[in-house]
Amino acid sequence: MSQVQAKEQLPATGMRSLTRLLPFAKPYWLQFTVVFILVVIYNGSSVLQPYLVKVAIDSDISGPHPNAHGLLWVSVIYIAAVVIGVVANFSQIMMLQYAGQNVIKSIRLRLFEHIEKQSMSFFDRNALGRLVTNVSSDTETVSQFFTQFFLSLVRDGLSILMIMFAMLELNVRIGLYCLIVIPVIFAVSLLFRSRLKGAYQATRTRLSNVVSFLAENLAGMRLIQIFHQENRQERIYEAMIESHRQANVREYGLSTLFNRTLELLGKVAVSSVVWFGGGAVLHKVILFGTLYAYITYIQNFFAPINSITQQWNTLQSSMVAAERISRVLSQTPQIQDPAQPITPVQVGQLRGGVVFDHVTFSYNPGAPVLRDISFAIEPGAMIGFVGPTGAGKSSLMSLLTRFYEPEQGAIKIDGMDISSFAQDDLHRVVGLLQQDVHLFTGTVLDNIRLFREDVSEQAVVAAAQAVGAHDLIMRLPKGYHTLLLGKGANLSMGERQLLSFARVVAQNPRILILDEATASLDSQTEELVQRGLAAVSANRTTIVIAHRLSTIRHADQIYVLERGALKEHGTHEELVASGGLYANLVAESGVETSRQTDGNPPVQSQSAHVAARL
Amino acid sequence: MSPIEDPRFLLRQFLWNKRYAYALSILSIIASEFVAVQFPNILGQFTNLLDKGRMNSALIVHYALLLLIVGVVAVLLFGIGQFRNGQIGRRFEYDLRFRLFAHWELLSTSYFRKRSIGDLLNHAMNDVRAVREALSGGMNILTNAVFLLIATLFMTFRTISVELTLVSMIPMLFVPVFIIRFGPRIRDASRQVQESLSDMADLTEESLAAVRLVKATANERVEARRFGERVEEIVRRQMAMIGRSAVFQSFIPLMGSLSFAIALSYGGYLTLKGTINLGDFVAFTMYLGMIITPLQQIGFVINNYQRASASLTRLSILLGEVPEIADAPNAVSLPQVNGDLRVSLPAFQYPDGQHHALEDISFEAPAGATIGIVGRTGSGKTTLVNLLPRIFEAPKGSVYLDGVDIRQLRLADLRRAIAYVPQDGFLFSATIADNIAFSRADATDEEIMAAAQDACLAEDISRFTDGMHTQIGERGVTLSGGQKQRAAIARALLKQAPVLILDDSLSAVDMATEKQILGRLRELRAQKTTIIVAHRLSAVRHADLILVLEDGRLAERGTHEELLAQAGLYATTYQLQQTESEEVSA
Repeated sequence: MSQVQAKEQLPATGMRSLTRLLPFAKPYWLQFTVVFILVVIYNGSSVLQPYLVKVAIDSDISGPHPNAHGLLWVSVIYIAAVVIGVVANFSQIMMLQYAGQNVIKSIRLRLFEHIEKQSMSFFDRNALGRLVTNVSSDTETVSQFFTQFFLSLVRDGLSILMIMFAMLELNVRIGLYCLIVIPVIFAVSLLFRSRLKGAYQATRTRLSNVVSFLAENLAGMRLIQIFHQENRQERIYEAMIESHRQANVREYGLSTLFNRTLELLGKVAVSSVVWFGGGAVLHKVILFGTLYAYITYIQNFFAPINSITQQWNTLQSSMVAAERISRVLSQTPQIQDPAQPITPVQVGQLRGGVVFDHVTFSYNPGAPVLRDISFAIEPGAMIGFVGPTGAGKSSLMSLLTRFYEPEQGAIKIDGMDISSFAQDDLHRVVGLLQQDVHLFTGTVLDNIRLFREDVSEQAVVAAAQAVGAHDLIMRLPKGYHTLLLGKGANLSMGERQLLSFARVVAQNPRILILDEATASLDSQTEELVQRGLAAVSANRTTIVIAHRLSTIRHADQIYVLERGALKEHGTHEELVASGGLYANLVAESGVETSRQTDGNPPVQSQSAHVAARL
Repeated sequence: MSPIEDPRFLLRQFLWNKRYAYALSILSIIASEFVAVQFPNILGQFTNLLDKGRMNSALIVHYALLLLIVGVVAVLLFGIGQFRNGQIGRRFEYDLRFRLFAHWELLSTSYFRKRSIGDLLNHAMNDVRAVREALSGGMNILTNAVFLLIATLFMTFRTISVELTLVSMIPMLFVPVFIIRFGPRIRDASRQVQESLSDMADLTEESLAAVRLVKATANERVEARRFGERVEEIVRRQMAMIGRSAVFQSFIPLMGSLSFAIALSYGGYLTLKGTINLGDFVAFTMYLGMIITPLQQIGFVINNYQRASASLTRLSILLGEVPEIADAPNAVSLPQVNGDLRVSLPAFQYPDGQHHALEDISFEAPAGATIGIVGRTGSGKTTLVNLLPRIFEAPKGSVYLDGVDIRQLRLADLRRAIAYVPQDGFLFSATIADNIAFSRADATDEEIMAAAQDACLAEDISRFTDGMHTQIGERGVTLSGGQKQRAAIARALLKQAPVLILDDSLSAVDMATEKQILGRLRELRAQKTTIIVAHRLSAVRHADLILVLEDGRLAERGTHEELLAQAGLYATTYQLQQTESEEVSA
């Protein structure tokens, strides 16, 4: 374990977590550069517009020589500037978003592939929901850094600079006066920003309290009703939505106050410009058009400064999201392929003999769940493992698929250590049939071939026929092209099991681990499933983790596992004769064996089943 | 549907109740608009004086001050109206949310079975917010837009030139039309983006939930390809949406600038000819700047109202749901319950079920009896006990409490008489004490502790840092399955109800503790009726009557000894479990 820990990179924090994602943006440097140029053009056109009006007023309209021709020209240039600005802005939006979306796409792909590469112990440690959030919403938040934050920095920053330049260009002294407004707006914005953030967070926290209260109470409504506590819960809820309302009103009040304050500042600024600018016009320092341009410019100051101060929040939230992503990306998969794996050709020739050689294993150091397990399985044999819940049967099988690595000992297939296979090859050799059948949103066809395009429809049909699922599938509304829902809501348990058998046959592994399903089936389906099982286990090494003794009665070898150790093994007859643990189990389910001869399979299989479940 | 529950009616009622508050805030906004439109006018006059050379320093100060006062007054008036409207709107949001919860509390479990909680939350959060937004923000913007437009037009018509105004406004008139027509298309596109995002999240969840299968079949690359397809689709739809919104973001300023260009050339020409003054020209360009925002906002508000109206319709449907299980018209009150239960159920079928979940079940439980119910998963045990507190509705005349059909009893009386321990030991995110005292907020600490003691939870509680007042759930201590079940038992015991139902609620408790709890139960509930549903037969061994269910029918019945003698399903199972438990204790 310790060397594994050492292999993991430290996850990046703060700004570094974002800069670590920058390489994903590198392929799009050209787009980002073009965006920068387009923003310059757009801002230029915006700053030019008030200037053109000034020119029109001062030289054509109210100048000493009114000039209709000149006015027409200025108007044409004005329209041209507007159109160029709009086109530049449009292209900028499209290009920046194109780059940003593609950056996020690469991050997502990388993250997903990285997660799927992790060993099982990673999934034991990381909750599923958390990982889904990493992939879907954290990446979405990070994308704001590449689009919104970048854009604001460039556009608003440039916009402030260019307006400043224009003002100083018109008249240095008046321009300098006007610049006083910048720190004032910044100060007001920052002052409000932290308060607004606090108020916003208070509202959000209280809202999420309401949401989780509601979710919990809707889930537990039955209990509220049985205990007749409707009024009490109503009062608690009322208090929660009231506190949310208050926080929300406060937040709204603050943001209203902030916006109005900025507007007020704008009025003060204009009045001041009128005051000293008017004086300047009076003393012929500037022309009236210049004053007009100043009034426009000073109003244009407010939007970019306000927008820039808002980016602080964007930066913060994308930093947090980037940290979460980095935490996942920095984990090296614990189980690695060997440098020189056994060649696929060799893998194709495997016969399927399995050896466990003094294997000891624990999930947490010091608490072994398997102790010194040794056994050998002949190629093509059918082997049963039995034992009480928690004996370690499933752990044993997780080692054979190399989901985990043993602490001591070795596992070999046809004499070759399984760690010398590439994991992909190993998993083609060792198949796994789990208790619970996972279905994917997609057609029956795709569910059987697991979306592999190299498996033909004929092969899928053949597999389904082999396990006896074909008729059942043909009865579905669209046969093999019936759409299944992810949670498998539209199939019964038995149907789902048959589908999973067909999966195995389509995949055709040399060695199959079968974790027998415990779910209850009606007698007809039960029979179907039993026949399917027989078809699945033919022609390969089959290891059954049995919950029903009837399934493994005819196994070549039965292993009895108890508290992580192998207690006995042999055939059904040998074990019964030896009078040990297994013999006890069989004796207890005596009804099962005695009735088996009645020719009344539904009853016996079900009662044996109840016995196993209760 | 009673008119009281219709949110449209609620809305009208609310508006009527708040009519004075609304009148005040709307008047405040209107007043602010009429003050605000003086600003360009004053600036125009100032320009004229300057232009004509009749300006002096004193007048400059005078005009600057005038502008300041007009600006400040307009901003203040608007701010007050805006804030008040927002405040009132949030009050309605609160009312509606409360109404929804109260309504949900009346609906039965079969209603919640049909719906996802996420969906219901969506109504309570997003639909209600959409209505509020229309009510506060929408109201502000609409008042602002309409009156600002009127005031501006009035000013430009009166003080400047009708002709100039009309000609310049031509491009701007396209703005609201454009927004109304184009806004929904952006919303469509953005919905499609959301769909593709949740598609990706679904696939991620599906794939990671089946990660063992994916790995065992060496299918990682195929999954990555499927994920890649989803991500690609997101990019495609994002770009489609961005394309539309970029058009949107470009069109409005373009029209505004074109109007301005007309004002510049045509207004400039009129000034140059001397038809209007320079001041009028300056004022007019300012007016144009003021007008573009409200025109834009009118479009948004119309879209906003459309959305709110759809939300209101969804909420109507929700609040119109009639509770399935409620008091009968002349329900019988039963202040004192003994706990005599009689069930004679010909058949029960879930409202959404295809076939009978229970068939032909009858038994009696006189006050003080203990009934055990066993059977495999899906045999109908939980369904049966859920009929007693009317979580699901049994047919008339099939379940009697103290000789009265439970459907004739007052729901409050019936449920006061029954304590229930659910399978999963459902607890609320509150302190342990709050959870145990769920049925009785007035319970003393001693009573709570006694109940905990009876449920063998006292020792666990003493190990928590805050003892009984330890917060549990997401924001506190996570209890183990067994601890949850025992807390749920304590909660039920504290209720001291004539009928207690344990719905397989000892499954996660170890054997020794189970024995202890069952012993306590026998003492505490000697005079009261107890129903124990179990998987482990040891839990029902001492019951007065054991019912063995199979496929919704009574397969066997009798006492432990009788059932053993029958050598049926019960006997087989019992033997097996005996040896298992011996192995464990060995």
